Amino acid sequence: MKAILRAAMLVLAVTPALAHSTVDTTSPEDGAVLAETPPQIVLTFAKSIRLTRVLMTHDDEDPIDLDLGEQTAFATRFELPVEDMGNGLYQIEWRGLSGDGHTMRSAFTFRVQ
Amino acid sequence: MPDGWELASAFAQFLLYLGVLGSIGQVLVRVVFVRETGGLRDAMTRQATGLAILALFAAAIGFSLKGAVMTGESSGMTDPEMLGLLWQTPVGTAFVLCVTGLSLILLGLRLPGIGLPVAAAGGLVTLWSFSLVGHVADTGALWLRFLLLAHLECAAFWIGVLSPLRTLAGDRENLSGATVLGQRFGRIAAVTVPVLIAAGIVMAWQMVGGIEPLLTTAYGLTLIAKIGAVACLLAAAAANKLRFVPAMRAGDGKAAAGLRRSIAVEWTAVCLVLLATAALTTLQGTPPEGSP
Repeated sequence: MKAILRAAMLVLAVTPALAHSTVDTTSPEDGAVLAETPPQIVLTFAKSIRLTRVLMTHDDEDPIDLDLGEQTAFATRFELPVEDMGNGLYQIEWRGLSGDGHTMRSAFTFRVQ
Repeated sequence: MPDGWELASAFAQFLLYLGVLGSIGQVLVRVVFVRETGGLRDAMTRQATGLAILALFAAAIGFSLKGAVMTGESSGMTDPEMLGLLWQTPVGTAFVLCVTGLSLILLGLRLPGIGLPVAAAGGLVTLWSFSLVGHVADTGALWLRFLLLAHLECAAFWIGVLSPLRTLAGDRENLSGATVLGQRFGRIAAVTVPVLIAAGIVMAWQMVGGIEPLLTTAYGLTLIAKIGAVACLLAAAAANKLRFVPAMRAGDGKAAAGLRRSIAVEWTAVCLVLLATAALTTLQGTPPEGSP
């Protein structure tokens, strides 16, 4: 039984990156280098999803929740205002649910310098 | 890398597969091998009941864990907004069907007379729930859903025979019981195992779409891991059919110990197959069309 459990954890742990992340485009693009912090980020999806949580991390600071506002319905495009936290690396991690019930998660980064 | 909630969700899915296929398998084996498993009826009923309860528990926890995956924190497991959202998707419908089917299995296992047909019908309902969500459902093809149903029925039948066969092989006073069950299962498996594999290949081809995505995508590589575990399973099953069962029939008492060891290997391979399947269905998206 222990061998089976060890094998179980190994199989699940080495599973490569999470998929089901059918984000089509982001603005800014992943890895973009910008002169100033954009006023908002935009997520565009191939199929409708419902965003459930979006976290922004600036450099090594604690992540903060981005306000979804009224965008609490299934849609293909989401525009979220971003607080200007100065120069540095911004990481955006989003989670959501597709209409067919798949949970989705992905992240992208951009740098302001 | 998947986060902790996603890993927990995948593990709950693994337990769900184990409980569902194990309990339905025991029911199918009792239906098909009435005489051969007559002496094991109570033990098999207990085991099937336990596995069905495990599946119910895993289904409920798995549903709740999806709420945590959606928020990234434990509060999501009981967040009415998240769980309500999920309830409105096919995941909610599949959950209701799965719980209904498992309840029918539990009821059937308690009922005298028509109990086994009721439990078998419950098994069908439960297995059909798997066709409502996931990559097969995403294709929208009804024939693929029926193919998945046939695939799962054959898999359950195989898994269901492992415990009774191992128990009978441990009864040194009456090895003929294991010999007869092994022989009869071997004859039926000559049909069900090719169906199981052919259905798996067709579904995999539909999901992956070619050799290159099989080798270059996360979904394809996980599928290769599953195929490797299936190969181990087939090797152990072949050893049972071609070596241990014929040797037992010829009166070789030591062959029974070999059969029991081989079944233990089969159990390990089954768990790895189900783990890989859980990873495929909960952690991996199918390769997009035209992917490298």
